[in-house]
Amino acid sequence: MRFEPNEDQATFLSVLDQMAEDAGAAWEVPADWSRFQWAAGLDRTLEENGFFDCAAEESLGPVAAAAMVHRLARLPVTLEVAASALLRPFLPKGLPRPVAVIDDSPAAPIRFLPVAASVLSLSGDAVRVAVLAEGDVRPVDSLFAYPMGVFARTIGDWQRLDADPNAVREAWRVALAAELGGTLRGGQDAVLAHVRERRQFGQPLGSFQGVQHRLAGAGTKIEAAYWMTLRAAQGVDPADSAVALGYVQNAATAAVYDLHQFMGAMGLTLEHPLHRWTYRARLLKSALGGPSGNFGLVARRKWRAA
Amino acid sequence: MHFDWTEEDRAYRARVRDFLHRELPPDWPEIARHGPGSRAQTDFSLEFCPKLAEAGLLVPHWPEDWGGADRPTWEHFILGEEMWAAGEPRGAQYMNVNWIGPTLMRFGTEEQKRRYIPPMAAGRAIWCQGFSEPNAGSDLAALRTRAVRDGDDYVIDGTKIWTSYAGMAETCFLLARTGGPESGKAGIAIFLVPMDTPGIEVRAIPSLIGHGDIHEVFFTGMRVPATARLGEEGEAWSIIRFALANERVGIPRYELSARVLEQMVEDLRQQGRFDDPVIQSRAGAAAADCEAARMLTYRVVDGKARGAAPGAEASVARVAVVAAENAVMDFGLDFLPEAFSGGARPAYLSHHERAIVTGIAAGAAEIQLNLIAHRFLDLPKVAS
Repeated sequence: MRFEPNEDQATFLSVLDQMAEDAGAAWEVPADWSRFQWAAGLDRTLEENGFFDCAAEESLGPVAAAAMVHRLARLPVTLEVAASALLRPFLPKGLPRPVAVIDDSPAAPIRFLPVAASVLSLSGDAVRVAVLAEGDVRPVDSLFAYPMGVFARTIGDWQRLDADPNAVREAWRVALAAELGGTLRGGQDAVLAHVRERRQFGQPLGSFQGVQHRLAGAGTKIEAAYWMTLRAAQGVDPADSAVALGYVQNAATAAVYDLHQFMGAMGLTLEHPLHRWTYRARLLKSALGGPSGNFGLVARRKWRAA
Repeated sequence: MHFDWTEEDRAYRARVRDFLHRELPPDWPEIARHGPGSRAQTDFSLEFCPKLAEAGLLVPHWPEDWGGADRPTWEHFILGEEMWAAGEPRGAQYMNVNWIGPTLMRFGTEEQKRRYIPPMAAGRAIWCQGFSEPNAGSDLAALRTRAVRDGDDYVIDGTKIWTSYAGMAETCFLLARTGGPESGKAGIAIFLVPMDTPGIEVRAIPSLIGHGDIHEVFFTGMRVPATARLGEEGEAWSIIRFALANERVGIPRYELSARVLEQMVEDLRQQGRFDDPVIQSRAGAAAADCEAARMLTYRVVDGKARGAAPGAEASVARVAVVAAENAVMDFGLDFLPEAFSGGARPAYLSHHERAIVTGIAAGAAEIQLNLIAHRFLDLPKVAS
């Protein structure tokens, strides 16, 4: 049992933190007031420097990949990291990214589809990928802070992968847990900065116990989710991935409500990036069955229930 | 980062389980019904702990000089998980092992160490902690029990309350004020007081956690030698912080919760009810709460194993432990209420009694939230 990263993981995460810090600091309000800001520059840098290959590297592995997803999800800018980092070991070499993942109905709007170069389907009992071409996808408006889209036409050129669908789905569950955990942490960091500074009744908002206890309660869950997700990435127990995703999804509803409460009216504006985190979390908290679906899966895996 | 046990860890756990399997009698669930402070469990501990000591399983993490074997922190923790999950057959002696012994080793005089540590290492010492008072619970620094220097002695007057194990303890780890009434944290000292000292009266408080577990303790003109003081006058607070940092994750409560949840699921399965998706989902949620508490606790243990200074992570873990115990307790009460009457499931009752204490003992959960806000989230101190 060792919670400290090994030397390679420490270096990897430290460099990543540096890059993420620069990207976070570079955030600015988009001129078109869009709900998300695609971080094309950071995405390119990560790709060119091989960051998305980390899960397959022995000294880094899926644990470092999950930590990477968590860190980048804390940023106010938007990146496709979860699938690229944790699913890459299953994907054909050279499959272009960003990768959109279909894990529900293919007819439903799909996250990242408008910016994706490839699509991975986890529907049914096979894993398939397709490279997208111009005109395949139509963006749709969405409540959520992701580029969302639907297929504009039928994709004919699907390639079936020689991969265990359950293993891919497991890695995807871990990836989503990492992404949601990081998203909540990012939102919480923004709100913590606000309540440290913002004064009312002559005191910082963050000095009121009613505020502190709720943030501390959420902080506990966000912290627990992080470590549970890393353990799930290692694959210690078959129930771990559903434990991690169900737990963080279950924590998300109250956490998101509180983040907006404590940010007050500023959190309702498009000038402040809080919505970037909360409206990602509001989508991710229902992924792969949501809390009840994942907790049900925990029960079936732990106790072999029907 | 690596989150699995080593083969050595697994072998050690198996060894502890074998020992428990061999040594716990068939009526152990009944003995363990009311928790570590009960008369039955205390009496049992005085037979059981010497056997543990003999097998090298009482204080393996202590230094060899004090009866230990310098074994790794993680082994001590595995031992703690197995003991607590079994109902804590060490009774109140778990406190000696977890924090009283190590605190004396660090801060005690040679005489205090020689007097008190060997009986702990032999499994024959029962201690209580005289911390809370009628007007000083969460606000421990407001304690009023006075210790007035009189030549080579101190004369102590005051009242302690909620004192676990006091009815059977031989020695009290007592906090008393040596400074003036307004001296706060800086005016407190610790005294190691034999419970048969004239001037002590103990009254048990009937409670939801079993008769004989919590007490009032009255000190009236009690005279103790100055050599009974642990550390210097005014040094108590830093010593207590050291002790409580060990104690906050000292009891691996989630391990018992996780195992009781297993039994509840088995009961529901036997009744043909575990196919209900609502019950499955709630069971999964309770299991996840146990794992959250486990991971946060392990993180603290990992820090301790690496020699890191105790930080706010212990408070974070503690809050998650409270949530886990309550999740399992409520799962049982919601879906198996009949098991809490009639005595068929003493383990559920026993878990319930332990669970309702968790958010109160060793620093209330709300105090932990204050600490998390200030030390973990870097928020300003609470507005007055």
